[in-house]
Amino acid sequence: MPELEKLHQAVIDGDWKGAAAATQAAIAEGQAALAIVTGCLVPAMDEVGRRFECEEYFVPEMLLSARAMKASMEILRPLLAATGAQPTGRVVIGTVKGDLHDIGKNLVASMLEGGGFEVTDLGSDVRPEQFIAAAREKNADIIALSALLTVTMPSMKKTIDALRDSGLPVKVIIGGAPVTRQYAEQIGADGYGETANSAVALARQLMKKAS
Amino acid sequence: MRTALDHREPDRIPLDFGSTAVTGIHASCVAGLRDYFGLAAGPVKVHEPYQMLGLVEDDLRAAMGIDVTGVFPRKTMFGNSSAEWKEWNFRGLDVLVPADFQTRTEPNGDILTFPEGDETAAPSARLPVGSAFFDTIVRQPEVDDEKLDPADNLEEFSPISEEDLNHIERSVRTVAARAYGVAASFGGTAFGDIALVPAPFLKNPKGIRDITEWYISTRSRRGYIHSIFERQCEIGIQNLARIHARIGDAVDCVFLCGTDFGTQTSAFCSVATFRELWFPYYKRVNNWVHANTGWKCFKHSCGSVERFFESFIEAGFDIINPVQCSAAGMEPGELKRKYGSRLVFWGGGVDTQKTLPFGTPQQVREEVLRRCEIFAPGGGFVFNSIHNLQAGTPVENIVAMLDAVHQFNGVAHA
Repeated sequence: MPELEKLHQAVIDGDWKGAAAATQAAIAEGQAALAIVTGCLVPAMDEVGRRFECEEYFVPEMLLSARAMKASMEILRPLLAATGAQPTGRVVIGTVKGDLHDIGKNLVASMLEGGGFEVTDLGSDVRPEQFIAAAREKNADIIALSALLTVTMPSMKKTIDALRDSGLPVKVIIGGAPVTRQYAEQIGADGYGETANSAVALARQLMKKAS
Repeated sequence: MRTALDHREPDRIPLDFGSTAVTGIHASCVAGLRDYFGLAAGPVKVHEPYQMLGLVEDDLRAAMGIDVTGVFPRKTMFGNSSAEWKEWNFRGLDVLVPADFQTRTEPNGDILTFPEGDETAAPSARLPVGSAFFDTIVRQPEVDDEKLDPADNLEEFSPISEEDLNHIERSVRTVAARAYGVAASFGGTAFGDIALVPAPFLKNPKGIRDITEWYISTRSRRGYIHSIFERQCEIGIQNLARIHARIGDAVDCVFLCGTDFGTQTSAFCSVATFRELWFPYYKRVNNWVHANTGWKCFKHSCGSVERFFESFIEAGFDIINPVQCSAAGMEPGELKRKYGSRLVFWGGGVDTQKTLPFGTPQQVREEVLRRCEIFAPGGGFVFNSIHNLQAGTPVENIVAMLDAVHQFNGVAHA
């Protein structure tokens, strides 16, 4: 099986060791890093997302595939940087202040990275000013906010208010168990993602609108 | 309550708040309710500091019109076992906590706590500024698959101690003297409850303790997980037998497992995976309970879990909680129609993600009355909100909820 096919399958199967080995082999074959990402990793993670949407895959399978994709990206990232390749978009992501829950946020980050975005993950319990500083530093197109608790949802609004005050031309997308589309509209977010997969579609849509 | 659990329509819907760690009330709301009802002032007892759950004492139980009380394990989620209380100020709220609950405030204002109150151990949970709940700190050394030993994940599952048995017996005696239904939580039979996996009660947890690693392991290390569940199941049943020998049928139901299988929009695994990895152990535990006791088996799982209901029933669960009607595929009328004669819905009374914390009292009232109309006919319903009453919930909304239930029941309450 050609190495790119092996890599594609390894990501879908959540085989991170296989993904790393196939990535190395594809590079040795002379495949360009950007071509590996756009021609293999992005479609593989799209397929993982599709399987998640149709409930063939669940959280454990998504986490395994994300791990495999990351193993490949670890190898490819320095090569991408060296070529100056541009990502689909730049996203700064984090769970908002007061909230330590990160499984959902991590899945979204992985799906975005697998979707060709450059993702800066600030972790959990992130203050508004940290989002702003990172967005400025990374020249972010999108900030993605997550919250699991009803008591920390107001931190989303505070973050968006602070961002708007800062004047940064960045789009904000939000998600998390108690969060709704209505809440997103109410606090001035640019989009709401119900699932990790829909967050990718949303981010792509926002990038298209911006271009 | 017993009538409702037996799927016969009682004279009124039984009401639970505070009988388990998933049907409780945040300490700040307990304080607000005590104030509203004009009960004796003084600090609220936080009996479960992990979720900052306030103890519902007899006076508040009576004021709220609650029909159920709880029996809790001797130790908290942080391994605190002291029967004594001490004062603690929780961000402006005076509370009482177990005397061996220890905290340290970080320079940024975050609060750390320690397993068994041992400050020489690594902290096992953090309460960040802006939150009202602790969350576990994962203490996971890098997993070496060659060295993984299921025994490492079994440290917390051991034959029940005499001290624990005495505690349970004392607690049951105390509550049995009252005219309430009793829900008991003994611990030890939660298979892979993600809140327990990081073991915030252990000083040096070994094995797989990281949440992501655990979820991944349910797929990639299934043999390892089976080995843990197999042994845990044996120990759990032996412990239930020893507990039953002490207390008999003095409790109505037993909270057996809080493992969540649902997310807001989907599930954590397929039905096929559930049946392969969890079902056999649930069935063994529930079969033992039904064959040897008069207890009803209580299962908690948040999220979109309708797909598992046939399996829950076949595994022997009698009660499902919290009936998260806001999750995908959890439409209350449909649940009642399909499963109402076979599963007791303990929860589902009102949404705690939107309506109760953010709605108006009128919206709360309308939702509660609608849910009561759906779930009450034919019994099989214990009123509870969908999970614990969360911090920040307006007291007037909680009161609107209680008033609506009592109105439906035709009972006047102060």
